[in-house]
Amino acid sequence: MSTLRRLWQTIWESYRVGLFVIAVAIVLTLLTPRFMQAENLMNVLTNASVTAIVGLGMTLAIASGNFDLSVGSIAAFAGSISMSLVPSIGIAGGVAAGLLTGAIVGLINGLIITELRVPAFIATLGMLTIVRGLTLIYTSGHDIYLYGQTGYKILSAGAMPLVLALVLAALLGFVVKYTRFGRHVLAVGSNSAAATRSGVRTSRVLWGVFAIVGTTAALSGMIISAQVLTANGRLATGLELSAIAVAVIGGTPLSGGKATMIGTLLGALLVSTINNGLNLLNVQIFFQELTTGVLLLIAVAFSIRRGYHPRALLRRQA
Amino acid sequence: MSSSPPLLEVQGLSRRFPGVLALDHVDFDVFPGEVHALVGENGAGKSTLINMLAGVIQPSGGTIKLDGQAVRFANPSSAQHAGISVIFQEFNLLPQLSVAENIFINREPKRGPIIDWPTMYRRASDVLDMLKIEIDPRAVVQSLSVAQQQLVEIARALSFKAKVIVMDEPTAALNDREVDRLLEIVRSLADGGVGVIYVSHRLAEVLTVADRISVLRDGRHVLTAARRELDEPKIVSAMVGRELLHVACPPRTPGELRLVVRDLSVEDYVKDVSFELHGGEVLGLAGLMGSGSTDVVEALFGLRSMQAAEIKLNGEALAIDGPRSAIRSSLGYVPEDRKRSGILPDLSVKHNISMGIVERLRQVVWVNEREDQKLAEQYQSRLNIRCRSVNQYISGLSGGNQQKVVLARALAGNSQVLLLAEPTRGVDVGAKAEIYHLIDELVAQGMAVLMQTSELPELIRLANRCLVFADGKPQGELAKDDLNQERVMALATRFDVKGKAA
Repeated sequence: MSTLRRLWQTIWESYRVGLFVIAVAIVLTLLTPRFMQAENLMNVLTNASVTAIVGLGMTLAIASGNFDLSVGSIAAFAGSISMSLVPSIGIAGGVAAGLLTGAIVGLINGLIITELRVPAFIATLGMLTIVRGLTLIYTSGHDIYLYGQTGYKILSAGAMPLVLALVLAALLGFVVKYTRFGRHVLAVGSNSAAATRSGVRTSRVLWGVFAIVGTTAALSGMIISAQVLTANGRLATGLELSAIAVAVIGGTPLSGGKATMIGTLLGALLVSTINNGLNLLNVQIFFQELTTGVLLLIAVAFSIRRGYHPRALLRRQA
Repeated sequence: MSSSPPLLEVQGLSRRFPGVLALDHVDFDVFPGEVHALVGENGAGKSTLINMLAGVIQPSGGTIKLDGQAVRFANPSSAQHAGISVIFQEFNLLPQLSVAENIFINREPKRGPIIDWPTMYRRASDVLDMLKIEIDPRAVVQSLSVAQQQLVEIARALSFKAKVIVMDEPTAALNDREVDRLLEIVRSLADGGVGVIYVSHRLAEVLTVADRISVLRDGRHVLTAARRELDEPKIVSAMVGRELLHVACPPRTPGELRLVVRDLSVEDYVKDVSFELHGGEVLGLAGLMGSGSTDVVEALFGLRSMQAAEIKLNGEALAIDGPRSAIRSSLGYVPEDRKRSGILPDLSVKHNISMGIVERLRQVVWVNEREDQKLAEQYQSRLNIRCRSVNQYISGLSGGNQQKVVLARALAGNSQVLLLAEPTRGVDVGAKAEIYHLIDELVAQGMAVLMQTSELPELIRLANRCLVFADGKPQGELAKDDLNQERVMALATRFDVKGKAA
């Protein structure tokens, strides 16, 4: 009995979000035949992947005890720069330029936080508007189209977003669990003062973290641009909140020191599945705005209640 | 006192956590007007007992009777309303609010919907006066000293008309004078008819203030006796279940010269610090809070900006620009505040130990988990770290074992010099003895130890000589034969005329 209960508890704690996804999928299958169609499922996965990619970077930032509010702006900036350069330097060059843009802006975030000692919240909030402004200046407020460069669609076509999300999750999951950098990130997020005293150079760790978040934001931004072959200064507004939400829904605690990349993937999948369901059921689009927020609140309420439970102190296993 | 029935009576109280019987059929009672001390090592079950009295957790078996009535507390506020107030070690004060607001939080006197400030301040000062505490009820809590905050907690407990007040390690952060003051207040609370349950590691205090003393060990009740029947050795042996071996500092045999520091100054405050440290010895750094002894240790580990005419390790000049370079130069450090700057609470014991030297465990790009595990297990057995596995979260360990993990981390870099700041703060007697023993062993094997401590018995137990600081300067060095509490205090209280008395 107690073994069964413990087994259930382990499954519940580790795969909670996954179970939710399955439950929602079952309900939707019963409610509408359109849900299980291959094309629709692909749609769900693609949407989930776009949020998941930036969410994975955000998970790393949250694990380090910070978060990055500028990812939406970085996505738009990187998308615009990338697209505008494709005609002159080709698709591979354009994509590389976009990723580099994201990494550089992210690094600047990190430098502002560690060198100017501005809290991450304020630093990235400032960068949110600065980078958004830069994007509008760069595009002169116009759309950037890619006429005839449909090759750029390679980023968004077919299973590419899903593959990118899975590869990135595996990569970051590996980094967190098995590399020195990953351990240092968790140490900084768990107790920055103790990390410093253990020999962790916290500033460098944060530069790395924010550069990675910037890069993932850029990748998400370019996929979104590729979907419509258009980039502009209004691209990906609000992406920062979705990114934080899917990480937290997936089970990464905002208090830092822990990260679950698989959780973030599932969190993104849950949000995307529910939104898709509301769509199929012809629920007014305005209601979809609600879902992410409601899920986020539920997830946080859950994790807080768990965190304060005395039993949490007895949890085993790292 | 003995004629009246007990205020609070606990019978056969048990509490099971998954895999552990944290409390095993414990009987305990407290009479009105009595101070009943509860002692035991960390993990003995004290906190579990207190948490059940406070309604934080529920018993798995047994009864709690208050005034002869069996009670069950579903949550902390029901315990509080029944008349049991618990003052936890971690304060529950809201630092940005005033003293009066903290005392009456959630019960603010109101006129209609509006808080009646004059009444609140008046009632707060009534409570404070009753305790003869001179604190302005309008003062903001974060501007108060730790001792004063403690008193605010007591005032709040009292304002609930508590019949039973439980104090968990109330003196952990207080200096000697503040401790005396607190003990007076505890006494006067009891004289007013309250039953006080006093939990502390400091046996001297317990023997001063308590009427009766109970000892818990491994979740079981082992002893209850009146104070006059007990002394420190008796209590300690009941707590640890064995006699503690040698209390005197073992002979130290200083070996080759390890560390030379000449004319060190730290951040315009600490000046003129020079000393030599040999392998196989413990140099103590003593001094009151703010004397500069802590700053020296932190500076040598690269945590403060410092200047020195010379710092040499094994004859070679040492340039330290941060903890990382200190670790690479084979200095190991145990910070003074384990919780704030020692442990990485969300990480495993293993990762806590290897954090400073992960790169040495590297294999291509990833960390060699097997090496990591081996290293951790090696230290687990060497330092006798008690945990289910080195993969367990460090936050689940007792304070003493957490401290051993921090010590393991300091050793893991193949350190040649250990910089210890308050090496046993907040650690129970048993773990303390073990840590002393470990330090003895390390020193016997040739380790050089620089130890800052504010506990004089610890200083005398471990150090074979000592630099005493006051006002940012070393006031003198005491050799082992001169190392006693009086001599240290005489130097530590030697202030310049401008006098920054504590």
